[in-house]
Amino acid sequence: MPEIKVTPLGAGQDVGRSCILVSIAGKNVMLDCGMHMGYNDDRRFPDFSYITQNGRLTDFLDCVIISHFHLDHCGALPYFSEMVGYDGPIYMTHPTKAICPILLEDYRKITVDKKGETNFFTSQMIKDCMKKVVAVHLHQTVQVDEELEIKAYYAGHVLGAAMFQIKVGCESVVYTGDYNMTPDRHLGAAWIDKCRPDLLITESTYATTIRDSKRCRERDFLKKVHETVERGGKVLIPVFALGRAQELCILLETFWERMNLKAPIYFSTGLTEKANHYYKLFITWTNQKIRKTFVQRNMFEFKHIKAFDRAFADNPGPMVVFATPGMLHAGQSLQIFRKWAGNEKNMVIMPGYCVQGTVGHKILSGQRKLEMEGRQILEVKMQVEYMSFSAHADAKGIMQLIRQAEPRNVLLVHGEAKKMEFLKQKIEQEFHVNCYMPANGETTTILTNPSIPVDISLGLLKRETAIGLLPDVKKPKLMHGTLIMKDNSFRLVSPEQALKELGLAEHQLRFTCRVHIQDPRKEHETVLRVYNHLKGVLKDYSVQHLPDGSITVESILIQATAHSEDQGTKVLLVSWTYQDEELGSYLTSLLKKGLPQSTA
Amino acid sequence: MTRECSLLLPRVCAALADPRQPGSDDTCLEKLLDWFRDLTELDPTVKLLQDNPCLTEFISSVLALPEPSPSILSFTLRLAGILAASEIRFQHLQQEKLLIRLFGRDGPLNSAVWEDASVRSGWVEGVHSMMHHQPALHFLCDDGSIDVIFTLQGDPSLFVASAASQLLVHMLTLSVESETTKPLSTKDCDWPACAQMIIKRIEDSLQSSSASHIEQSLKLLTSLFGSCRATWTEVLWLGVAKQIESFLTEETVQAQHMLANLFLNMAWSPVFCDAEGSFWALVTSALEHLTPVQAGPLAVGILRLYKCPQDVRIQAVTVLLQPMDCILRAASQPLEYAGLLDESVSDPTAVESLLSSKSSCASLLCQTLAHLEELLSLIRLPVDLPYTSLLRSLMTILQFCNGFLCPASPLGSMISRILINSFRVQRSALDVIAALSEKKGGDSLIGSLFDVLLAYLESPNTSPTVLKKTFQATSKWLMRLQELSCSNSQWQQTQKILEDVFLVLQKRLCSPCWEVRDSSLEFLTVLIKYLRDQDEFRQSLLSSEVPRLTENLLEDPESYVRASAVTAVGHLAFITYFASESPVVGNQYNKENTVAKLQEILSTDPEGFPRRAVISIFTKWLRQGCTGQLEDTEQFVSRVIQTVEYDLDWEVRLGGLELVEVFCSQTICQLGLPECPYAPVSSAVTSSIHQDELLQIFCRTKLFSFLFRSLCDCDKPVGQRACDILLGLRSSFYPISTLKDSQGTGDSPARDSIAWLQRTLRQGSLAQNFLTDGGNGVDFQDPEIMMLALGTIDLEELHDELNKSSDHVEKSPQSLLQDILATVGTIEENEADCY
Repeated sequence: MPEIKVTPLGAGQDVGRSCILVSIAGKNVMLDCGMHMGYNDDRRFPDFSYITQNGRLTDFLDCVIISHFHLDHCGALPYFSEMVGYDGPIYMTHPTKAICPILLEDYRKITVDKKGETNFFTSQMIKDCMKKVVAVHLHQTVQVDEELEIKAYYAGHVLGAAMFQIKVGCESVVYTGDYNMTPDRHLGAAWIDKCRPDLLITESTYATTIRDSKRCRERDFLKKVHETVERGGKVLIPVFALGRAQELCILLETFWERMNLKAPIYFSTGLTEKANHYYKLFITWTNQKIRKTFVQRNMFEFKHIKAFDRAFADNPGPMVVFATPGMLHAGQSLQIFRKWAGNEKNMVIMPGYCVQGTVGHKILSGQRKLEMEGRQILEVKMQVEYMSFSAHADAKGIMQLIRQAEPRNVLLVHGEAKKMEFLKQKIEQEFHVNCYMPANGETTTILTNPSIPVDISLGLLKRETAIGLLPDVKKPKLMHGTLIMKDNSFRLVSPEQALKELGLAEHQLRFTCRVHIQDPRKEHETVLRVYNHLKGVLKDYSVQHLPDGSITVESILIQATAHSEDQGTKVLLVSWTYQDEELGSYLTSLLKKGLPQSTA
Repeated sequence: MTRECSLLLPRVCAALADPRQPGSDDTCLEKLLDWFRDLTELDPTVKLLQDNPCLTEFISSVLALPEPSPSILSFTLRLAGILAASEIRFQHLQQEKLLIRLFGRDGPLNSAVWEDASVRSGWVEGVHSMMHHQPALHFLCDDGSIDVIFTLQGDPSLFVASAASQLLVHMLTLSVESETTKPLSTKDCDWPACAQMIIKRIEDSLQSSSASHIEQSLKLLTSLFGSCRATWTEVLWLGVAKQIESFLTEETVQAQHMLANLFLNMAWSPVFCDAEGSFWALVTSALEHLTPVQAGPLAVGILRLYKCPQDVRIQAVTVLLQPMDCILRAASQPLEYAGLLDESVSDPTAVESLLSSKSSCASLLCQTLAHLEELLSLIRLPVDLPYTSLLRSLMTILQFCNGFLCPASPLGSMISRILINSFRVQRSALDVIAALSEKKGGDSLIGSLFDVLLAYLESPNTSPTVLKKTFQATSKWLMRLQELSCSNSQWQQTQKILEDVFLVLQKRLCSPCWEVRDSSLEFLTVLIKYLRDQDEFRQSLLSSEVPRLTENLLEDPESYVRASAVTAVGHLAFITYFASESPVVGNQYNKENTVAKLQEILSTDPEGFPRRAVISIFTKWLRQGCTGQLEDTEQFVSRVIQTVEYDLDWEVRLGGLELVEVFCSQTICQLGLPECPYAPVSSAVTSSIHQDELLQIFCRTKLFSFLFRSLCDCDKPVGQRACDILLGLRSSFYPISTLKDSQGTGDSPARDSIAWLQRTLRQGSLAQNFLTDGGNGVDFQDPEIMMLALGTIDLEELHDELNKSSDHVEKSPQSLLQDILATVGTIEENEADCY
């Protein structure tokens, strides 16, 4: 039985770093190659030594697919391709390919700031890795090799995020990466056609949550920013250079315009321009509204948001600053935080997840006295707000996607075990499909029942139509032929053609059966009785009595002899060909019942 | 453990054991275990447990939970293992009956939570951690838990299965090495009880009919022989040797694929490789019986060994060369070329059938090529390789792949049809060709090799990744060609090849694909780096359109390409302007123009890569003395500093500091201060005139303001570099003996401004408006004040402060404990969130 095997090396019952191995019809694919930001040692990368026990990675893996540019999905890629030594093809969408290096550079910068960092990639490695990437368009079927093909679908979530269908023959897997089923300010909702994959591997970050409308969260955010600015305070929003930052910028820009606000908004790094450049370049990936208004005004050319200079942080009066990095763990965002933390009029809004150990994590968990370098204690008096803007599908969205794609099996990744368990039951109940949730390192095997396409030879088809049966889509019909499996293809041909192609000689196979009949008459009389009986019963068949005393019914031959020991018993030898097997069996069973008395 | 930590620990333990609390972040638990590992490694006594009774209380309370969460239970198992690593702590935990409840039959392993892979993993890791002494060994063996470990070798989780196998190896080694009283021998083989149990299980599994059991035992033996080099391993081996040998010949058992690794690990062990005959006979038999794909890794592994009989090496080489030989034979008429191998040595049928099958051809070739590349990278090759034939075979593969060769032989035509457009094979073959350039041989083929390489460089079908490898191979062979043409005056051939290369490079520099333009520029840079002294090279390059096209790419829309163009243009300058006998005629290459262009990129390019490339080229020029006389250089450096000191990219600022460092040391050298080892004058500060002159130069170039400002940079590496340079400067101006005297001198306004500077620097990256208003009275261009600043400011203290990593607080155990406590009672939603 063909099978699909899935082994998560990361994202199996966790949200750390995605890296999922899929084996389908002899092809091996790695889905995402993420990094865990919570570790500073080798644990930040998936343990690639488990991919292949023997042999080289490049020989084992047929391709790597990256779903989107977040580091927990692509952060280990330069390590994998330039340090571990994978030299095969890597696929991602065009925006992901363009934006990935920005985030990887961003993170590389943070790590070189730390002590004892080893095993980390260089700028040159990031570039060399990106040069190996093959960029794909949405809905474009890409042939990885003769058998393996992949296709990208829109996933929402962040610019360039895609779900991927992986197909070998008629077996297929869909991997969602991270996706969002509701459109937001700059991106559309995820969409996939009814592709009925054998397996859908879906993220399940919000497996148990039905999220409130994003509008409420946005209103809340704007209200908080507005209030702070009104009372003369400063607002710090630590962000990663790309992604949520752009969404929040659009939000503030529109609000400032509407309310005619004057307080300055700054974006703190040189990356803004580049980020916005990509949003402009890949405008087709944003949502309809942005695309429509693009002609009149580009949403990403901000009127109110200006570049930040570090000297501005000490300016009096209100302001809003977007600063990188997003977890307040180093660099400019931390510097501004330290300057502003002591004033209760100010506010910091954390719009995303922070790993343990970072200042962001500490203030979110309510710590207000932080030890800084040099044993200084920083007292945090400013307001701290957490506002989740991450764009994942909630439980409803996940169910909706399953309804859309109609998979035969579902496998949950990128979520917490407890929540997955709940969703798993719900999926199994509602859709009557198997749902799996392997832990990292655990292999799930899914049996598939692929329908295998077979070519039928023209000759055979013609012969069938010649019999007078015209093909009808609604009426499946039985056809006899010989199945030839050659060069990875299946063909149904007539037996004669098969013999010819294979250079084989034909052998005739006959079945024989002896039937004993109690009849004291002479042999030829018995034969006559049998002949009459059969002629009466098998009216539609050609029954003949041959001069040599044998009877034929179509290809079936019947001869009678007297039993050597008991003359009162006659032995009927029935023999038939394979083609008349049905009739032959019928005849023997008929004869076994004996002859009717009346035929005498 | 610090006092603060021991105060926090009981609350942390209570929080972790509280089922009402939301589970702690996995990374927190991992880091907590790291901390305990460090603590216990330093101190084997029971003090940790006595001082912190909360630890044993924590374990008890987790055990008392009716339904502990898998992650907390797994954490507890691992913690207990770490604590029980020393015998005395093990006894302590035993007395409390904690270990038996955690690891024994009635513990988690017979409960529902065992279904969870993290619990099984925690159990194995816990046992492994404690397995450092005999009591632990007996605890496991007497309890019968060893069966559990054997079962776990076949666990559905790869992590658990692999950890279980490692654990058994560890236990076997520990048992033999700690419990054997007399040396073991084959005759008198008295294994200790625990070892006996493990060995018996290995032997039984090997004889079983279950492929997975056989595989597990082979895996176990492989890691045992890989990690343990003691003589007793031979005694163990002799017990299983016959059985394992039979796997080579019996086709019913699918275990061959495991054998190559096993034999390789054995070959590295002195116990086996020194043995007379029998082991090597087995290896020889393996090379014969394993399929070409299975034998490849074994062959290449053998060729890496120092100790190995020559005939085994030759056989291993045969295995690796056979596919290459097959290719050569398939492509050529009989007797046209000498093959790679003497035909009588080996039977090529197996290889031929693999090469003629669509599903195996490319993978066999890629594997073989990777092995050959590995072999060629060895400094000392233990056998001679037929380089010329190998090169011919590689060229044949490349010609199959691009359709330039379709041989008439059935095998040849089959292979050529399979390989056409196989990028994987192309890449691998090009890697080996590049590696071959460093070996002697193949010179007679150099002309035809370049024909093949140029065909790849020219063809529009060559994929960007293949093109990159072709560039790499071409550059290596061009270097080789130069060596050859020097020695045998084949300069005409060289000239022709170079012209062809530049012709194709011109085309590639205009490719619509940025990856191709970038690789082309990188290729050009490599060529200039290594061949710029060769006349033919310079002439061919400068008479082509390449330099002009390269300059055009300074305005490429892709920043990576602009950066590579900057580097290439920077290197081109060594030929066009900086060469002693510049071949440039006319005004085609204008130095000022190029410098101005690069300067413009440095100040205006919106992206970091090109700016970084400019600063690194400027530093390179400065290092090589290409920036002119001291005065010109001074102006140049001053201009660069003013451009980069406000750059948004920290690596550009860092690059600026590197330039400053080079400038300082060169200037000091030129003016002859004693610290410079190459100084023409060696007496201690020959005169204060020199010192004053130096200071004036440095002040004029405004490097002090850049350096002091950088000390407050929010990106730490910048501050660190600046501090290092300032320390270097100080040691140049103040010999150690005079340093103390200098402090406190100077007039009072100067002292005030220095005090201000000192205060500002202490604030580090939080310093406000630093230097924008002229530094609040500090004149960074005043030599006297700067001299005073260098002598007064405590640069050592700053250096220590800056050298603390930004995460030193973040990494501390106290911070970790505080973070765990802080999350107690927080809303769960935050955790589930991600990016």
